[in-house]
Amino acid sequence: MGLSKVAVLASAQTELRPAWRDAQHIDLISSVVANVFKGTGLTLDDVDFVIDSGSDVLDGRSISNCGFLGALGAHHKEEARVEEDGLWGALYGVNKIRSGASSIGLIVAYSKPSESDIDLYWSAMVEPFYQRPVGFGQKAALGIQAQRYLAAHGITDEALAAIVAKRWADAAANGKVAIDTLPDAAAVLAGDEAAWPLTDLMISRPLDGAVAVLICNEDVARRTGRPPVFITGMGTSLETHNFADRSINRLDSVAAATRMALGKAGWDKAAAEVVETSGSSVVGELLALEGLGLAATGRGAEIALDPAVNASGGALPADPIMATGLVRLAEAAKRLSTPVAAGAKAPATALVHGTGGVAMQTNCVFTLEV
Amino acid sequence: MFYAPETAPIDLPTFKSTISLPYTLTPGKSAGTFLAEMPNRRIVGTRFADGAVIAPGQDFSPVDGEEPVALVQAPETGELTAFTRTGGVVLGLVRLDGCRNAFVHKILADIYTLAVGQRVAARWSTSEQGTSITAIEGFVPAPDAPVGNVLPLDTPAEPLGVINYAMALHYDHAYGPYYGRMFDEIRQNGVVMGVRGSNADEALLPPREIDDITHKRTGTWKACADTGTIRACSLINMEVYGQTRPVPYAYAEIVLDGASTKMIHIIEIDDLETAKQTIKPGTRVRAVWTQGERKGAVSDIERFEVIGE
Repeated sequence: MGLSKVAVLASAQTELRPAWRDAQHIDLISSVVANVFKGTGLTLDDVDFVIDSGSDVLDGRSISNCGFLGALGAHHKEEARVEEDGLWGALYGVNKIRSGASSIGLIVAYSKPSESDIDLYWSAMVEPFYQRPVGFGQKAALGIQAQRYLAAHGITDEALAAIVAKRWADAAANGKVAIDTLPDAAAVLAGDEAAWPLTDLMISRPLDGAVAVLICNEDVARRTGRPPVFITGMGTSLETHNFADRSINRLDSVAAATRMALGKAGWDKAAAEVVETSGSSVVGELLALEGLGLAATGRGAEIALDPAVNASGGALPADPIMATGLVRLAEAAKRLSTPVAAGAKAPATALVHGTGGVAMQTNCVFTLEV
Repeated sequence: MFYAPETAPIDLPTFKSTISLPYTLTPGKSAGTFLAEMPNRRIVGTRFADGAVIAPGQDFSPVDGEEPVALVQAPETGELTAFTRTGGVVLGLVRLDGCRNAFVHKILADIYTLAVGQRVAARWSTSEQGTSITAIEGFVPAPDAPVGNVLPLDTPAEPLGVINYAMALHYDHAYGPYYGRMFDEIRQNGVVMGVRGSNADEALLPPREIDDITHKRTGTWKACADTGTIRACSLINMEVYGQTRPVPYAYAEIVLDGASTKMIHIIEIDDLETAKQTIKPGTRVRAVWTQGERKGAVSDIERFEVIGE
């Protein structure tokens, strides 16, 4: 089609912390925007457009991006807000570059859930006449999702806890997430009940932080002196808002988004050497792995401990809501572009998944290749 | 942040803020009728052209967007299709007899006694007599309840038109190092401090680490005067939600002496005609500080006043 290929050139993240009490949104945002250019040879002057993702409700101000434009580096530039996870912002940016209208884009996503009441944030998302008055929200939806999954597939709490503990250990090893005490599987099981059968640590932990990703066309990417990481496929899909009407024990929209992304990439199956997913709970993560086609229905737990899956720790220990998916993209791209030890085989393909909404209503999938 | 503060504690004071949003929600015909029938203790559903019934009623099918053809009265019995417990409250999905869908409600039972597929029945609240779905207190196990039938809805109540609704969202905003010092200086010293722009002597207010225009690091701290010049203004004579003082008053964007950016504040006025003559771009103004202990807020400046000749 003659459309430009688009690459992930660089990324920058703040540490993801339970609370960045000593920094405003603009401090986190300007930090990653200033840092993302290091080593690329590019400056902010080279950027054709800025796309940012965050939540007005979490931020506590309307059209909050307007107050953050300077920090975003968007002064007198084309800027657009995507009120979805930053992975959708990247999707928008990739299409802008593929169209030929631009060559370099800056994608930023940030979150400070520590500043607001997270349960109210989720409650605001559900239906006000029938659902909100009875106390339905994110936790209840994730609990129902988990109850059904465990009952249908005979998965034990212990199996879930082992996955959660591995995610936290991997996040600690990756060094981007503030972790005071590393929980083992017993600590996961002993945690408070979030939504039966899920304990607190079985639900993704909201954290503060920001991430910036620089994307560019092939011409620019080829000049940076390392093999470009190309975004070769993208797909997105969503479930009905009405939670009770969704398919049971399946995330159809993950499967639909995956089909779309794999079709674009020309992959005949979802086999990737790096997998980064955004599960809102440990069961949500298993459903995502199954939706991605990496495991059969009910068998997500069998590959969840594979070293290729969420080597960064994934979303369970670190969920900067609205930035989580873009962090997954940054982590996967970094893994594909980092030199490996002599003799080791470098990974060449990645699958990236982002999600949003109550019980993972919306889903987005990218394929990456070097 | 640019050079991340690695030693900072996380229990710094925060700026507490509440956004209270008043709404008038419009439920539409089906939900409006459902809610209006709550005091009558009838559960309203909707029937679609293919014969499927959903309850509670909706003006559209959540699955394919089709419009319903009739309101119906759904039975008060059904089966439990899923359940959880959060915050000590058991919530479940209940499919009423004869209905295609399930919906979420409270389950009034010990969670460890529950099983998917078991029969349940609505229990009406003895206290809630209004038009809320909580008029159904919840569903209780009813193993022997006969299968109920969907009935035509006889003489439905008039649907609710709009519902007054309020939502309050609470925030603890971090000040960050720059706003933090600015407000500390206002509280302790009664001085408005900014930081110099990346390549200018004039200060940016509020201060920040990165210059909005150049995206370079800003310069050193600088005390601004509490006098300045109006650069834009509007005389406000209309009452709107969220105002902090009675009309009329002037809203002004003021560049303090020593600063390059505009600060928004208020100038009190006696009457509109005089204000039109005296308050305009270029007018010199001075801050009027509040009496007593300062709080470390923009409101420590009560208002600005025109500097007379």
